[in-house]
Amino acid sequence: MKEKVNERVNWPITILLIIGLITVAFPLYMTIVIAFKQPSEMTNSISGILSLPKSWSLANFAEAMRVTDFWRSLFNSFLITVITVVISILIHSMIGYAVGRNKAKNKFYNFSYLYIVSGMFVPFAILMMPLVKQTAQMGIDNLVGVILCYVVFYMPMNVLLYSGYLVNIPVALEEAARVDGASTFRTYWSIIFPIMKPMHATVAVLTALGTWNDVMTPLVIMSGSGMNTLPLAQLTFQTQFGTNYNLAFASYLLALLPILIFYIICQKQILNGVVNGAVK
Amino acid sequence: MKKMNDRERTFLLMTIPILILFFLFNTLPLIKGAIYSFTNFKGYGTYNWVGFRNYIDLFQDGRVGRSYWFTFKLALLSTIVVNVISLILALGLNSKIKFKSALRGLYFIPNILGALVVGYIFNYFFTYILPAVIQMMGGEGTSMLASTKWAWVAIMIVCAWQSIAMNTIIYISGLQTVPEDVYEAGSIDGATGWAQFKHLTFPLILPFFSINMVLCMKNFLMVFDQIMALTKGGPAQSTESISYLIYNNGMSGGQFGFQSANAVVFFIMIVVISVAQMTFTSKREEQL
Amino acid sequence: MRKRKAVLSVLLAGIMLIAMGLSACGTDENAGKTVVELVQYKPEAVGVFEKLEEQFNATHDDIVLKIDSPNDAMTILKTRFIRENYPDIIGIGGDINYSYFVDSNILADVSDYEGLSTIKQSYVDILENLEFVPTEGTFGVPYVANAAGVLYNRDMFEEHGWEIPETWGEFMDLCAEIESEGIQPLYFGFKDTWTCLAPWNALAVDLAPADVCKQVNRGETNFTDEYREIAEKMLELVEYGEDGPFAYGYNDACTAFANGECAMYTIGSYAVPQIKSVNPDMNIDSFVMPGSDEKGGNVLNSGVDLQFCLTSECKNKEAAYEVIDFLLEHDNIQMYLDDQNAVPCKDETFDLASEVDGMTEYIEEGIMSDYQDHYYPSEMAVDAQIQTFLINQDVDAFLAKFDKDWLRYNRDIIRLVEEYEAAHGNE
Repeated sequence: MKEKVNERVNWPITILLIIGLITVAFPLYMTIVIAFKQPSEMTNSISGILSLPKSWSLANFAEAMRVTDFWRSLFNSFLITVITVVISILIHSMIGYAVGRNKAKNKFYNFSYLYIVSGMFVPFAILMMPLVKQTAQMGIDNLVGVILCYVVFYMPMNVLLYSGYLVNIPVALEEAARVDGASTFRTYWSIIFPIMKPMHATVAVLTALGTWNDVMTPLVIMSGSGMNTLPLAQLTFQTQFGTNYNLAFASYLLALLPILIFYIICQKQILNGVVNGAVK
Repeated sequence: MKKMNDRERTFLLMTIPILILFFLFNTLPLIKGAIYSFTNFKGYGTYNWVGFRNYIDLFQDGRVGRSYWFTFKLALLSTIVVNVISLILALGLNSKIKFKSALRGLYFIPNILGALVVGYIFNYFFTYILPAVIQMMGGEGTSMLASTKWAWVAIMIVCAWQSIAMNTIIYISGLQTVPEDVYEAGSIDGATGWAQFKHLTFPLILPFFSINMVLCMKNFLMVFDQIMALTKGGPAQSTESISYLIYNNGMSGGQFGFQSANAVVFFIMIVVISVAQMTFTSKREEQL
Repeated sequence: MRKRKAVLSVLLAGIMLIAMGLSACGTDENAGKTVVELVQYKPEAVGVFEKLEEQFNATHDDIVLKIDSPNDAMTILKTRFIRENYPDIIGIGGDINYSYFVDSNILADVSDYEGLSTIKQSYVDILENLEFVPTEGTFGVPYVANAAGVLYNRDMFEEHGWEIPETWGEFMDLCAEIESEGIQPLYFGFKDTWTCLAPWNALAVDLAPADVCKQVNRGETNFTDEYREIAEKMLELVEYGEDGPFAYGYNDACTAFANGECAMYTIGSYAVPQIKSVNPDMNIDSFVMPGSDEKGGNVLNSGVDLQFCLTSECKNKEAAYEVIDFLLEHDNIQMYLDDQNAVPCKDETFDLASEVDGMTEYIEEGIMSDYQDHYYPSEMAVDAQIQTFLINQDVDAFLAKFDKDWLRYNRDIIRLVEEYEAAHGNE
């Protein structure tokens, strides 16, 4: 595939895409500039908004890390995100497969599909209070409860994605394995699961992003447990009567890096998955 | 026959435990929430049963009505805008270009930035930078966010800016499922450009198109973060979305019971719409 | 399947262990001591409260004080109430949430607390008035208050020789004079709807009866009559603000005022830290909103910014009172005031921040009245209604809608009031 790319580069499109990057670069530029400025450098005039900071000191970053107890919060966020993503990929792909393969012929699976997917449109606000009470009663008003909530919140979207992707995978592949005597689960695990790799990457990115940035769920479910996630800790920067944007933005930049790295890894996976699929 | 049973049993084993989990953490709290919609519950403390009062109020409440109109208008237009742009972007990013990985990475950044960052920066943009640019070009420069006519457009721009990234990725992964030889075969038949896209590419990525449509509708009908960050429902309550009302009045305010009724109605409405939409698109997929 | 399940259960067990390990930390060290948990809602004051916590624990052997200053504390408190996981003491503002908490029987009666007698009566009354219907007992110990009116740039005023206005006419003349010298008189930042309430409240205490909301709830008057003058004066005031005030937010307004782009800013003392973050050397003073047409007719807009309430689940009231005693010690209050530019509720002499110089007289004499919006149900969105009104400039439509919405959003409260009156007769 790589050789083909080098074969004949489409320069006009490349240039257009690079010009289009302005829409991304401008907000990013502002985020970085604000993260380095001091509050006294903030003004309302255009030149002041766009100007570079007086000095490129890392003081804001150090202060932001201290205020948010960065490493601990990062660890908690990381733990929640990783576990949520792993469980999501395992069980959402499984039910996505079971439902996706059978929903056309079987009423039960078709119903299950619509039942789960419609869960996408339940506003979180209505679930919040009952969930708070329920997780407390079940004794999981902590990390476990938060993770279980996430796994359920992202289920509708992920089931939709997986069962949609399954349309592209011929049933013939499974039948060949079955003829060889493999059990249904074995077939799924060794054939379907690896083929769905590009979708795993998409699901991982979507789920990880949602979990990583989410404030509400940990706020209501594990408040008072003394554990902070990164977005929870970042709330410190914003109160009604004052916001320290400089510290806040420094902190956001720090929080952005892990997920960006994660995305770059996943992007390769999306590509590799397709290459593997093509080889088969 | 025995084999079929094994297959069926495995499928059931895969489905039922997860369905139970889903029921416990989604449907059960939803039912509890729906029960509160018949009370004047504030979210804590004591409450009284009020029968259908909340539902009757709901249909007479001008503010709720305006929030439905605003939300559906925003969702529909944003979905169109986002899908058109991200499809074009995906085609671009999937063609033979230089710096492919870098470009794909950069175009993804809007999706990672949190709502507060995006809201704050775009606030600056709409309040100071855009009016100045318009003034330079000789127009009358006022902030879009301060105008009851234009604020929703500003919100649409920000929503689109943020969600184009994800939709583009889904389109890219869709475009990669299209084998190279399809194009080769197509170009022998003389299909290039628009014709190639319309007759070859698009039908093949139709499943991804419908996924994107549903994802977009979902995200935009539930729009909340962008409103909080940009306008908080203003100016003059012209940009209050349904989710904003449900959260703001139900959770922060003391209207949990009433807003639960709102959420129930909203939920039923969307389920009806999306079931219709899905039946429609899956029929089209079967036809092709 | 088995393999998958094994993976899953290992994972889940792992999470449980970690979660339990984290939540179990630090339970043993306090064995045998009374633990008092205080949750307070001002995260900006976390520094002071950390110091207070440390000092308290260093001087008390039998009580361990734990102070939590979480972000978005109201959501956290409400969700903890749902879970029936009550802290012993909560530090909240005197606003409608407090009224709801009293109404829901979440708070304990603290009228037997001796320290209450050292608090200025006017603040105790403010809390009393916030109860929907007169409820036996006192449910909070006011700690500090904030005050709202007009902040002004002292240096700018001295340089131009401007006088502090005492009546509405003088205020309008002053604005016109400032404008004629080519300076922007006021900045509002009405994009954030809550800022619309700042001048509104300050005018309302001058021009409407303090208990107007209660009077309406009892059916004795309506807002169309009581609020008309306020609405009209708001329109006059907006004339002297920035162009297109709905484009700019609170933050923009603070920045503009700090950078000397305007002479005055109609906001409360709570904005001072944000303004000073932009311009630390700024010389700010304040005056009471001169809404009245007569000299001496003005009232300071001041409400309880932080009070301590005991939850009814608090097990050891005496220990909790000891904590409040400590917090009310003169030096500790002074420490808080220095940090937060607040106004004390305790009836003693303190050094006040120079930013409230212009209001001290009113504070000392107790000529003050609570923010009207503390009585407005937040779901009615009065702030947004005022913003709408300032955009459309239609006084009649605004007031008519206000009256109509009031009855709808308050009908449960009004019913409560009616029941109460039926049982007790009018006071």
